[in-house]
Amino acid sequence: MELDFSFLLSYSGVLLQGLSTTLQFVGLAALLGLIWGFVLSLGRTSENHVIYWASTLYVEFFRGTPVLVQLFWVFFCLPLFLGIDLSGFASAVIALSLYSGAIISESFRAALKSIESSQFDACTALGLPRGVQTIFVVLPQAVLRAIPNLLSNVVSLFKESALVSAVGMADLMYVGQNIANNVARPIEILTVVALIYFAIGFPLTRAVSVVEARLLKVVKA
Amino acid sequence: MAFVEINGLVKRYGALSIFEGFDLKMEATDRLVLIGPSGCGKSTLLRCMMGLEDIAGGQISLGGKEYIEGAEAGKMRIDAKIQKDVGMVFQHYTLFPHLSVLGNLCLAPTRSRGMKKAIARDKAMELLQRFGLADRADFYPSQLSGGQKQRVAIARALMLDPKLMLFDEVTSALDPELVNEVENTMQDLANAGMPMMIVTHDMHFARNIATKVVFQERGKVIEAAAPDELFGNPQQERTRDFLRNVLHING
Repeated sequence: MELDFSFLLSYSGVLLQGLSTTLQFVGLAALLGLIWGFVLSLGRTSENHVIYWASTLYVEFFRGTPVLVQLFWVFFCLPLFLGIDLSGFASAVIALSLYSGAIISESFRAALKSIESSQFDACTALGLPRGVQTIFVVLPQAVLRAIPNLLSNVVSLFKESALVSAVGMADLMYVGQNIANNVARPIEILTVVALIYFAIGFPLTRAVSVVEARLLKVVKA
Repeated sequence: MAFVEINGLVKRYGALSIFEGFDLKMEATDRLVLIGPSGCGKSTLLRCMMGLEDIAGGQISLGGKEYIEGAEAGKMRIDAKIQKDVGMVFQHYTLFPHLSVLGNLCLAPTRSRGMKKAIARDKAMELLQRFGLADRADFYPSQLSGGQKQRVAIARALMLDPKLMLFDEVTSALDPELVNEVENTMQDLANAGMPMMIVTHDMHFARNIATKVVFQERGKVIEAAAPDELFGNPQQERTRDFLRNVLHING
């Protein structure tokens, strides 16, 4: 078997285009997922039974079904229910936001639960009203403690985003497959696609460890 | 009426009963030190005073005003206005780790008492100066020693001008060489006339700082007396046994 990577140069523009698409919808979905995930985590620690069960059911459903099924559902079924046309890009963002929100809410929930009960005692002893306690004591600590896990969540989302190629989104994976079909050289092209994913994912994963070590020093008093 | 009056306090954790009718009085000139074996309810008493525990019955009053009244259902009613007159320091510092020393001191006054930021800051710096911590104002709790953390916690409570301070085993988590700085800070506070209720295992410190020592066991006051009397000439057999044990262990 003879490997030849030189032909890839002529496709670099298309690959970059695919990468840019991937980064755009992953970035958007991560942002929306962070907001949605925080809201969900508040629901999952709520004392209101309806809110608690609704958010729990949601999170368990999205964690317990394949992302690929969720993607197909949002791409092909959701437009029928809503009676509108959704662009592929919008559908990808919606599906990945709904999914990552469920995953991210677990990171926030763990952070919320990791705040020692003595912190709440201190708040009571200082006479802090509930709202002040939530905004100035609980929230900042929860966010700080969640940051390492949230970064991991985003890295996972970036990797799982390759699934959108299955519904015809022209992301990095889809572009790679297309080229492979055209030139009949799947080994070279898929290797390069994997390397591109790795080149972006690896520094992010390393960043997680660095941030974790730094943050833990501050948060664990 | 005494400054602090606890009458018929009932506290249970499920089937476990801590107090079944506990009574205690303290004058405004008193520094009350609670001693006794682990699990006898010393810390629970302070937590009830601070309103951190639901009580099943009884009354607590402070400065002649009824402050906590136990209700039949087990949920207490607590007068938040009088609760504001009590400050508490805990065994494990409980500083807010994401805030600087100054931030820790200023959070409650500015966010719940409506104190202006500049005024709170001045007041905080004054307290830190007094405690020899002024150069630590911008440090985070994780950058402080245990003794410094605990003195910051005391300063944080003092920011709210409490009329009574509660100290719950504040030196128990400290390395031995750091105990002194915290106890000296408390002694200064005592000299300035602050009424205190103190739970401690340090009998030497108890004897020095107390005006009245209360020995309690199984949720009951066994003996209460001036420190020289209680340590020098305990009247009850159980007090003698306890003191013999702890003083022997302390060497």
